[in-house]
Amino acid sequence: MKNMITKKISVMLILIMLFLVGCGNESEEVDTLVIYSNRNDRFVSNLLEKFTEDTGIEVSPLHGANPLQIVEEQNNVRADIFISNDLGALGYLHSQGLLKEAQVEGIDSIPSDFRSEDNSYFAISVRARGLIYNKDLISYEEMPKSNEDLLDSKWSDVENGYAITRGGNGGMIGHISALRYEWGDEKTSDWIQAIRENAAGIYQGHGDIRRAVGAGEHSFGLVNNYYFHQQLLETSNNNVGFVYLDQEDDQMGAIANAAGLGLVNNGPNGENALKFIEWVLLPENQVEFVGESLELLINSQYNANYPDVVQDQIVPFQDLKVQNMSITELGNYFEDTTALIEQSGLALDLR
Amino acid sequence: MFIKKFNKGIVYFLKMKWISIWKSNPPGMVLLLLSSAIALVMAIPILYVVYRSFFAGTDKWRRLIDGSIPGLLWNTISLTVIVMIFSVIIGVLLAWLIVRTDIPFKRTLKWLLALPLLVPPYVGAVTYIIFFGRSGWLQAAWTNNSFLSTLIGDYPVDIYSFWGVSFVLIMFTYPYVYLIVSASLKKMNRNYEEAAQSLGMNRFQIFRKVILPSLRPSIGAGAILVSLYVLSDFGAIAMMRYVTFTAAIYFQRTSFDTESAAVLSLVLIALTLIILWIESRSKKSNKYYQNSNSYRRPMVLKLGKWKWPATVFAIFIFTVSVVLPIMVLIYWSIIGIGMGAVNSRFFAYAFNSLRVATVVSVLCMLASMPVVYLKMRYPSVITRVIDRLSYAGYALPGVIVALGFVFVFNNFIPALYGTFYIVAIALIVRFLPQAMQSGESALSMLSPKIDEAARSLGYPPWKVMFKVVLPNMLPGVLAGGALVFVSSIKELPATLLLRPPGFDTLAIRIYVEASEAIYHLAAPAALLIIMVSIIPLKFMLDKY
Repeated sequence: MKNMITKKISVMLILIMLFLVGCGNESEEVDTLVIYSNRNDRFVSNLLEKFTEDTGIEVSPLHGANPLQIVEEQNNVRADIFISNDLGALGYLHSQGLLKEAQVEGIDSIPSDFRSEDNSYFAISVRARGLIYNKDLISYEEMPKSNEDLLDSKWSDVENGYAITRGGNGGMIGHISALRYEWGDEKTSDWIQAIRENAAGIYQGHGDIRRAVGAGEHSFGLVNNYYFHQQLLETSNNNVGFVYLDQEDDQMGAIANAAGLGLVNNGPNGENALKFIEWVLLPENQVEFVGESLELLINSQYNANYPDVVQDQIVPFQDLKVQNMSITELGNYFEDTTALIEQSGLALDLR
Repeated sequence: MFIKKFNKGIVYFLKMKWISIWKSNPPGMVLLLLSSAIALVMAIPILYVVYRSFFAGTDKWRRLIDGSIPGLLWNTISLTVIVMIFSVIIGVLLAWLIVRTDIPFKRTLKWLLALPLLVPPYVGAVTYIIFFGRSGWLQAAWTNNSFLSTLIGDYPVDIYSFWGVSFVLIMFTYPYVYLIVSASLKKMNRNYEEAAQSLGMNRFQIFRKVILPSLRPSIGAGAILVSLYVLSDFGAIAMMRYVTFTAAIYFQRTSFDTESAAVLSLVLIALTLIILWIESRSKKSNKYYQNSNSYRRPMVLKLGKWKWPATVFAIFIFTVSVVLPIMVLIYWSIIGIGMGAVNSRFFAYAFNSLRVATVVSVLCMLASMPVVYLKMRYPSVITRVIDRLSYAGYALPGVIVALGFVFVFNNFIPALYGTFYIVAIALIVRFLPQAMQSGESALSMLSPKIDEAARSLGYPPWKVMFKVVLPNMLPGVLAGGALVFVSSIKELPATLLLRPPGFDTLAIRIYVEASEAIYHLAAPAALLIIMVSIIPLKFMLDKY
């Protein structure tokens, strides 16, 4: 009798153990790399899969990660690499001492404007801010052409209005940081209030905006240029055009931002992280980094593969008039910019 | 000498007190400790959220009270009230039609109308966006139909609006009311209605003065379930771009304003407690007794000319809440599968979902047994506290449970932070009450006399537990486990906030893809979750 019971208890215990073991099969033996990414995961997934194929190192990605998660976890570091849409975020992490110097092969291929002095973070692809517009609703001539133009309330009267993202969107934060650099805080705050009041739709992200503009729900929307490229690929709702802002001689030039990556200090798999960085700097992998995003490569000579419809519309980064602030400067504005956005009445997250 | 005596006196006093708390029947220490430990895991994270919100600083509080809290209160309360009212109206009406009238296709309709429970509301929301949205199917049909567009003008539906959100939530929460009210309508005694009839009341008066009052407790219970759901919903609301407290807490957390998230959580906890308080009050003031000796089946009302309008109404609700979402999902799944959406990544997500749901349901079954046993066999103040704490995760949104876990684990148990375990434990906190409820109803069938008989045969308590009690509880516990399985496979906010790198589940993929409007990737996952839910739903329907 006693035996039976002991048996039952042990069977139960074994079952529990099995389940616990079952959940713990991420054993340390496999070579791994933990990557936090705040890029859309469709842009990143193929790149990471190719890395695993090429090197055998398994990648655990956390998509949709916020840079501040690296800050919060600094006593308990889990990430090895942070991939960001916004160099400002990387610059901010760097200023907090959370990134580590990386002297790796191939880093020279990145122009010095696009990497930190210690190479702890660098950019690979760039995008410019601008306005995607629906050609059925508005013509190129009728469109606003500069950031300054958007201060005018008349744009609230265009057919179906225009669209912006919420204040906390990485692209929006970079945009506003650049305006602060150019204009100072007061005028920038006026600008934020103007777009908040005059926009007909405030969206979570740029994907929503390009779809809405393509479908004619709004005349135009403030996005990064590659969302225009993406909308061109849609099977319908693709009669859209794009305005690069501030391209006249006396104007500030388009606001550019870049996507890139940083090496996290004290990450658990430091060696693999360095391997990843060297790997991603290979020309073919810089091309892969652009992936489905249809951004522009910093090294446009590596020839990112764009579909024909998109290729016809590509304006190489070198041909754009770009604002003269160094992109690595963005990090100095990261924290205060979000405060200014909120103070000016544009909610960071509440849509 | 004196001190020794004094000490002895205290020990004796405590012992007597202890025994009197337990009404001379104290439980074994192991059982008590085990239950207490489980209750603590349930409660600590939530207590910690409350604690954190107190230390957010007056600045934060003032900014939130002047800023977002009033708007959030209005958004949340108005939505809760509207959804509750309409869910009650639709739920009661349908229950009454199905149970008490001669509506055609009764048997089929009876379970068809409960099926919206299969569709997770965030999936439902996506399908409604695809169908009713500003560039959705209906809009396309509308603009192509020159008659409609010239007669009425532009497409009038704005799904991203207060009424749009309400509509989505009503369609997927009315079954709570429908099921509970159906059950009590079935049990109602005909005698009361006949008495009313003999007093000269007409049908409408009977409904208003006899049926409705006696349904009040079950309508109340359904309404509470609906409103707790609306307070806690994250996915559907986020999809609809509407902001309630739960969504605001999630967004504050993802932008790492943890203090604001804690403050907002405290307000939400207060709202939840108010609802539970209203419930407990209304329970006290409304007691209706049924006389079981003279029970007779309720009479069935002839609908007459109302027969067809009633049928059309029921079928309409079913079509909108079940047929339409599933059709949309099938349409997009076919496109998705054609485009290779069901690939190795998809299977990895499915495996993760399966793994977390299995672990959580097994552990919930195991953890529920000691707590339930203690509650049913050793009632006391202490038991009541343990029981209440174990239910903490039930009433509170997953977002708050997750927030508490982030705080506690990142600060005090960093080794577990960002692992699979923390997701599993959070889901156990959320869903243990479901397992406990099934376990309780199973154990309540088993008379304590059987325990006593076993004890009198010389079994020690733990032997009674394993040889007598557990085998009898097992069917109920297993059923509870099935329920937990389904709940955890579709759980969204806690998993979103706590998942470790590399751990995406089907629910998370649905949320991510659908919020980027990549429907062909979201749809196959949504269909799979719905299919998995069919079995436990069947089980639940049998219970009602």
